[in-house]
Amino acid sequence: MWDSDDADEFIRGAMRWHFDPATGSPFWLAQASSLGFDPRVDVRSVADLRLFPNVVDELRHVRPEQLIPRGYGDSAEIVGVYDSGGTTGAPKRVVFLDDWLQRMITHMLEPLDRLGVPLGLNWLGMLPTGPHAVGHFIGMAARARRGLMFNIDLDPRWVRRLIVSGQQAQAEAYIDHLVEQASQVLLSQEIGVLMTTPPLLERLARRDDLLAAITENVRLIMWGGAHMDTDTHDLFRNEVFPGIPLHGVYGSTMIMGGASQRLGDTELPTFDGFGPYITFSVVDPVSLEPVPYGVRGQVVTSHVSKSMLLPNNLERDTAIRVPALPGQPGDSLADLAPVQVFGDEAVVEGVY
Amino acid sequence: MLTVDALGPSGPYRTRNQLVIADVTGAEVATVSLVPRLFVTRTMAVLGRASSLPLAARLEALDAAGSLFAAESSEYVALVSRVSGLPMADVEAAAATISDACRTAYEAAQRARPAGAAESLSAVDVGGLWTRRGNVFAVHAAGNHPAVHSLWLQALALGYRVAVRPSRREPFTPYRLICALRAAGFGDDHVVLLPCAHDVADEILRCADLGMVYGGDSVIAKYAGDPRVLPQGPGRSKILVTADSDWAPVLDMIVSSIAHHGGVGCINATGVLIEGDPAPLASALATRLAALPDSVLPRYPLDAALALRDHLAVRAAGTRPLLGASQLVTDLGDGSAVLRPTLHLLPSASCPQLGAELPFPCAWVAPWHRSSDGLAPLRHTLVLTAVTRDDSLIASLAADPTISNLYLGNRPTTYVHPHLPHDSYLPDFLMRTTSFVSPPRVALWGTPNARLRRN
Repeated sequence: MWDSDDADEFIRGAMRWHFDPATGSPFWLAQASSLGFDPRVDVRSVADLRLFPNVVDELRHVRPEQLIPRGYGDSAEIVGVYDSGGTTGAPKRVVFLDDWLQRMITHMLEPLDRLGVPLGLNWLGMLPTGPHAVGHFIGMAARARRGLMFNIDLDPRWVRRLIVSGQQAQAEAYIDHLVEQASQVLLSQEIGVLMTTPPLLERLARRDDLLAAITENVRLIMWGGAHMDTDTHDLFRNEVFPGIPLHGVYGSTMIMGGASQRLGDTELPTFDGFGPYITFSVVDPVSLEPVPYGVRGQVVTSHVSKSMLLPNNLERDTAIRVPALPGQPGDSLADLAPVQVFGDEAVVEGVY
Repeated sequence: MLTVDALGPSGPYRTRNQLVIADVTGAEVATVSLVPRLFVTRTMAVLGRASSLPLAARLEALDAAGSLFAAESSEYVALVSRVSGLPMADVEAAAATISDACRTAYEAAQRARPAGAAESLSAVDVGGLWTRRGNVFAVHAAGNHPAVHSLWLQALALGYRVAVRPSRREPFTPYRLICALRAAGFGDDHVVLLPCAHDVADEILRCADLGMVYGGDSVIAKYAGDPRVLPQGPGRSKILVTADSDWAPVLDMIVSSIAHHGGVGCINATGVLIEGDPAPLASALATRLAALPDSVLPRYPLDAALALRDHLAVRAAGTRPLLGASQLVTDLGDGSAVLRPTLHLLPSASCPQLGAELPFPCAWVAPWHRSSDGLAPLRHTLVLTAVTRDDSLIASLAADPTISNLYLGNRPTTYVHPHLPHDSYLPDFLMRTTSFVSPPRVALWGTPNARLRRN
C-alpha cells in the first residue's frame, strides 16, 4: 500500500495504518476520539486531508516517542528527534524514521542528474545543524552523491533573538562569523555544491574573493530556509551567478523534508509537492477555501507517510497557486513569501 | 498608469515587486519598482567604484539639469499635486526651487567652506584643503514636500555619488530630478534612484560613506548613535513675541509661518509663544486661519485625514481648542478631504503639545514667562522667529545649539534663501579639511636649510 501509484488509494491505506489501534501512533490514536469523524472511513483522498484539524501546536509539548507508529514494533529505525525553527513560539518536535529519510533524500537528489551535476563533488552547507534536521541530512545527501560534506553551523534561533532584542550589530557580527568560516572552506577546498539560505548567499556574494571561488568551482547552488523574492532570484541567476544552476528547496520540519524547485525557466520560482507524501494547497486565509490558480493565498501543507502524519497545516507562508505537474496531487507553489502582518498604521508626528 | 522604474547603475531597472501609488482620492496613478536588497548592495558597490565628473563638467551638468527639470513641467506638477495633496502653486514653487538649487548647489555649498580651507588643489600652497569625508552619499528622502530634494544636490555638486531612496508617497520628484541629471551629463553610476521596502532601506545607508535620513522621532532615535548618518527630524519651528513688541503688525507673518506651503513643512511654525496674555493673539490668529480658502490647504486621503483628526483629538487633551480637531476634516466626497487649520491655546509653554508637528497648518499658542519658562520651551527648534527688541535674549537664542535658524522680526519661519543653511550647512557634515603643504620652493641645500646642515 505504501507504494501505490494512486495517491488517493495511498491516503486510504495511510489512514488505515495511522488509525488502527495495532499500528497507529499513541499520539494519533489519542487524537482520533476528538476528531469528530473516522479517518478510516471519511478520508478517501488527498483533498480530504483538509478534514483534519491542524495539530502541529501539539508537537510543542508531546513526547516524541508517542509519535512513532506502533506498527513498526521494536524495529523502528529511529534517526533522531528534530525541532522546527521556533519562529512561532516553542519549537515543534518530530521523530525521523529511516525509511522516510531515505525516500526524502532520494527525492531531493533526483533533480541533480537532470541539472547535469556530476557525482563526486564536495559540498558546503551553511545550514542549521543542532536540533534542526536539514543540516544533518544534507551530509547524507552529499555522501549519496559520493562527495565530502563541509559544514558551517547556523543557529537561526540565536540570530532571531538578537534581532528581536534589537541587537542588530551582534546579529551582523554573527553573520560575519559565518561568512568568515565559510571563506576558510571556499578558499582552501574545492567546493562543487553550495547550500545555504538566500541572505547568506547575498553575504557570500558581497566578497569578491568568495564570488570568484564560487564562480570557479561551484556547479550547483542550493538554497532554502528563507524566502527569495523573484527579483532577487533573477539577479542571482542572471547577474551574480550566471551559468551556475540555482536550485531551491522549500523545506519545513512540518513536512518532514522539502519540496524541490521546478527545473527550467519558470517565470516565478515554483515548488512542486512530493505526492502523495508531501502535498500543498493554497487557500484564502479567512475562508480556507482554495484560491483560483494564479492568485496568491496562504500555503497549507500535508505530510503523509508510514512514519508520520501531519495533515492540513496552515503555514505562515503565502504563494501563488499554480497547477501541479501531471500526476502530482494538490497544488504547486510559486513566488513564496512570508505572511504579511498589517496592523493599524499609527500617526507619527513630524511632517516626514 | 505611469511606471516609475528604479534608476540603477546600468539604467532604468524594472522589478516584479511593484508598489502602487494612489492619489489623494485613492485612484491609482502609478506603480513603482521596489528593488530587492541584493540590487542595492550591487548598485552601491558600483557607485563606490565610479569616478565623479570633474568640477567643471559637474557644474555644467547641474546647470543643464536645472533647466531640464523646470522645462515642460505642467504634467509633473499636476501629478505631484494630486498625489501629495499640495496646492498646485506650492508644487510649482517647489519645482522652481529645485531647478534653482541645481544651478546654485555648488555656490551654496561653498558658503560652508572654512575660511582657512581652499576650494581646490590649484588654490592652495600651504594651508587647508576642503575635501570630502567620503565618496558615496545616501538619502532617505521625505515625501511631505518636493523641495526637500533641493538639498542633496549640494552633495552631488561637491563630487559625491548619490543614492536616493524616494519616499513611498511621492517618488516622482526625485525620479524627474535624477532623469534630468542623467540627461544633463551625470553618469548612471553617479546618481541613482533606489525605491525599496522599509527593510531594504538600511542597506543603502550601510553601503554608503555618509547618509541623510528624514523622519519622525523614532527614525531619528534609530540613527542617533550613528555618526555617519545626518538625521533630519521634526522641525518644531516656533515664533516668539516678547512684551516689548506688538503682535498686531506681525500677524500676517505668523499666519504665513503656520500655513505657507499648506503647513506641511518642517519650517512651518508649530508653536507660537507670547509674553503676556496669549488670548487676543490666539483669537486673531484663529480668525485669520479659519478664513484661509481650501485652495491653499493640503488634501489627504479621507481615511488618513480621519486618523489625523483622531490623533489630534487625543493629543489636544487639556488644551483649549480655538480651531479644534472636530473642524479639521472637510470631506470632499471624492475619497479625499481638505485639512483645515487647527489652533489650540495651551495653559503653559511647558506643555508637550508645543512640539506636536502635524502635516497641515497646526499651531499651538502658549504664554511665555521669561523668568519661569526661560529658554527651555524655545529649544529644539529648526526655525525660530523672534519678535523682540531684547538684545541679550537674541544673543542667548543665537548661542543655543538646539536652535538651528534664528530669524528676527517680521520674517516668517518659512523664509528660505539658497545661501542660508537649512539645519547648519549640509557641507558641515559632508566635508573636512585636509592640511596641504606644497614642496618647499627652495632646494634642500639652499640657504633656508643651512642651519639643518650645521646641526
